[in-house]
Amino acid sequence: MFANTLFLASACLTIGGAIAVVYSKNLMHACIYLLASLFGVAGLYTCIGADFLAATQLVVYAGGVVILMLFAIMLTGGTSNKVNRFGLEKIPAMGNKKTFFIASFAAVVSAMIIVKILIPVLKQNPSSALSPNEPTVERLGTLLATDHILAFEISSVLLLGALVGAAVISRPRKEIHD
Amino acid sequence: MDYTLTTVAPIVLLPFFAFVINAFIVKRFTKLAVGISCAAIFGSFLYSLKIFIDFLSVYSTNYYIHKVFTWFDLSAGEHLFKVNMGIYIDNMTAVMLLMVTGAATLIHVFSTWYMHDDPRFGRFFVYLSLFTSAMLGLVLSDNLLSVFIFWELMGFCSYSLIGFYYEKEGAGNASMKAFMTTRVGDVFFLLGILAIWSVVGSTTFVDMYAALAAGKLNGIMILGIPLATFAGFSVFMGTMGKSAQVPLQVWLPDAMWGPTPCSALIHAATMVAAGVYLSLRMYPIMEAGHLTTFIAYIGAITAFGAATVALVQTDIKAVLAYSTISQLGYMVIGIGVGSYNASFMHLITHAVFKACLFLSAGSVIHSIHCQEMPQMGGLRKKLPYTFFAMLLCCFAIAGVPFFSGFVSKDRILGDALVMATENKAFIGVAILGFGGALLTAFYMFRMLFLTFFGEPRDHHIYDHAHEEHIGWNSNVPLLILSLFTLGLFYSGSFTGQGEVNLFGSKYEWFQTLIKKPEVSTVAQFTDYQREDLGMTDTRDKVALTKAAYDSTYGLSEEKAHHIHVVHRIGAVLSIFIAFLGIFLAYSMYVKKTLNPGWWTNKFAAWTRALKNKYYFDDLYVGKIIQKGLLPFNDLLSRFDMGFYDKYGVDGWATVNRWAYSVSRWFDNNIVDSGMVDGTGASVRLMNVVLRTIQSGRVQLYFIVLIVVLASYVLTLRF
Amino acid sequence: MISLSSYLFISLVLFLCGIFVMVARKNIIAILLGIELILNASALNFAAYTKFLNNNLEGHIMSLFIIVIAAAEAAVGLGIVIRFFQLRESIHIDDASTLQN
Repeated sequence: MFANTLFLASACLTIGGAIAVVYSKNLMHACIYLLASLFGVAGLYTCIGADFLAATQLVVYAGGVVILMLFAIMLTGGTSNKVNRFGLEKIPAMGNKKTFFIASFAAVVSAMIIVKILIPVLKQNPSSALSPNEPTVERLGTLLATDHILAFEISSVLLLGALVGAAVISRPRKEIHD
Repeated sequence: MDYTLTTVAPIVLLPFFAFVINAFIVKRFTKLAVGISCAAIFGSFLYSLKIFIDFLSVYSTNYYIHKVFTWFDLSAGEHLFKVNMGIYIDNMTAVMLLMVTGAATLIHVFSTWYMHDDPRFGRFFVYLSLFTSAMLGLVLSDNLLSVFIFWELMGFCSYSLIGFYYEKEGAGNASMKAFMTTRVGDVFFLLGILAIWSVVGSTTFVDMYAALAAGKLNGIMILGIPLATFAGFSVFMGTMGKSAQVPLQVWLPDAMWGPTPCSALIHAATMVAAGVYLSLRMYPIMEAGHLTTFIAYIGAITAFGAATVALVQTDIKAVLAYSTISQLGYMVIGIGVGSYNASFMHLITHAVFKACLFLSAGSVIHSIHCQEMPQMGGLRKKLPYTFFAMLLCCFAIAGVPFFSGFVSKDRILGDALVMATENKAFIGVAILGFGGALLTAFYMFRMLFLTFFGEPRDHHIYDHAHEEHIGWNSNVPLLILSLFTLGLFYSGSFTGQGEVNLFGSKYEWFQTLIKKPEVSTVAQFTDYQREDLGMTDTRDKVALTKAAYDSTYGLSEEKAHHIHVVHRIGAVLSIFIAFLGIFLAYSMYVKKTLNPGWWTNKFAAWTRALKNKYYFDDLYVGKIIQKGLLPFNDLLSRFDMGFYDKYGVDGWATVNRWAYSVSRWFDNNIVDSGMVDGTGASVRLMNVVLRTIQSGRVQLYFIVLIVVLASYVLTLRF
Repeated sequence: MISLSSYLFISLVLFLCGIFVMVARKNIIAILLGIELILNASALNFAAYTKFLNNNLEGHIMSLFIIVIAAAEAAVGLGIVIRFFQLRESIHIDDASTLQN
């Protein structure tokens, strides 16, 4: 009962957040809606017993990525005039009717692809019997340290690279001209 | 001793390497270069001596060494085209090697004295080394092709040596004359090689003898004459050029423009000997071509004619040059009358005494800086060693008994006499031969008396003769060479015919070992496979049969007796003639009982002809070149300008210009406009299309990606 | 209720929303939001398949790596955005089209 309630709530939060991201006119709001959707995904993870995943989702996305995005939004949108010195529109456009039409076209086409792929999968009617939920942390740790050690190490290098790269790229430079 | 190509090669390669090294170092290290040249030739001499001793120890007429390798092979199926090179050493080669290297060594040593003041002292030795190496290569060659290569190499060397003092105009002309004159013979020689090759399929001597024995040459005509005649004549033309036989003898007297030691080398050891040596090697084909009478007459005319010209020469080297031509004529007579062995022997003996004579003349010339005999006289007190050497050599060349020239020349004359008694056609040969012998004795002693006897005719020259400069390296070669003018080195017998016998052995080594390559004895090699040439082909010792050393073996008793009698008559006649010649010279130039002026006045026209060398030079230059070749040249040049240039070259240019305009139209309209510009236009069109797609907008790319993915997935059937 | 098909439906909706946001928005940060949505959809898919098909946690590992990569991508992407803004004072996607033509 609790699981079903949690599932329903999480699903609503996820879908609702995603749709709100789509329809939000304000970038800051969209970001908050995304945060809500990610919380919903974390709830969905708990419903299927992925406790470690849910925790990671919360820590990394809610604690890291979304905060990072909020900072980026604040760093890029903090001036009053709408046109920059190049004559470009500075306040980001959140789309118009034309782009929405094109986007819906793209979404429909993608939906057709995915449905076409999913139909045979669902037709096979995989066993829906729910196994009891178990703690996954220990097994995940074992797996990461044994079978997937290489991928684990490589991802650590990737993260280091991303860290250094992001720092280098966004570092303010001395203007050579003017 | 097992000789192979590589163990025999040093004989040729030592002087050749000396040439190569010296060519680089001669400017800065002249003394070292001279030393290298002399050491190299001396090394060759020692090696040749070893080969000679080995052959003597085998002591068999038929022993020879023949080693072959394939130079290149262009055979295709049945058609054999294989060019082999190799060495061929038989008794003749061994003797030849010893003579060439020995004489060349002594000439090298003499040159260190004669040339040491010359500004081009070192360069002279460079040429000498190459010259000697070429001659040794020729002697060792087993086939006509490599003979020809070395032959031409010697032609080049003689050209350089005769023109050694190229700042003198005469030397330059003389070298050109020598080169061009021998070239006439060489063209024929090459023709002969090709004729033989076309039938035999090889130019190796042994192959040629085998083909002759198998009768391969029979019945083949070329230009309407039998092939053997054609080939023999062509090769003999080569000999005529190289060995200065009558129509082509004009270069040899001019060869004295070179330094005297090089004249010694050319006249004795290398150049002229090569021609006779080749004729000896090619003797079977000349015999098969029935050329012997022709050859004998060429030789006789040369021997007598050159001797007559030598009578009136005043230049000491000119006398020697004509005597060379005359003696070469005797060798050719020997070939013609079938006196193979004696002809070769005369080649060797002549090489020795002529080298000695030239070196003596060089010593005289270098001491008094004068070549004209009328200005000499009385030099025997100043140059005693030179006089002694020259005296011995004059005895040898005149045919005084116990000297080498007598042994060989008497045998040739004896054989000529035998031929004359058998065949009337040879009577002229015998008469000219004996006449030439008389003249030889006369002019050689005329030279000797004019130079060394009597009172000094030019006291200025006589007093300034610096005999004190004469050193060991001028006298020692002279004395060694003059020692070898003694007949006993060549023949143990008195007349060379094995009748009178000095050393107890009936048959001397020279006659025993040197045999003409009889076609019938080579016939046993008809199974000789050319494909097997890569392997060694040395024949074992063959026991000396009686046939091998007795020239009268197999003849009837009567005939043998006849030959003996004629030989004895010949011997007595030639001794008489030699002493008659010497006596005439003595009475004319020492006792003055006969006045040479009276004779020259009496036969003024003849004297003029002789002084002008029978007008051969005038004939060649005035008639053949001026009247014949130059107008012909003119005609050819006119033909060239009027026909080839006008119609051939210009016509071809017109055709090309027309083709050019056609091709230009094609190029401009089809290639340029159609293909090149068309390619550009199509590329530009595609550019317009593709540019619109490449918009730089990521979202457009994303949509395109989705659409393409969709169009792919939606067509799939699961 | 908690079944594979429902999870697949949720992830489909998330994915489509991500696609929609990526195409419709002209703001680079908004596009990055869409990318986060798409990555979440795939991660959710992996977790669901693990639960309903074999339960061997391989899918969880994949989801973990997806989160890691998403974090890295967000860091680098936002760094690029900030750098771009420093240069152009704009985060409009069509202004970043110097590669056109």
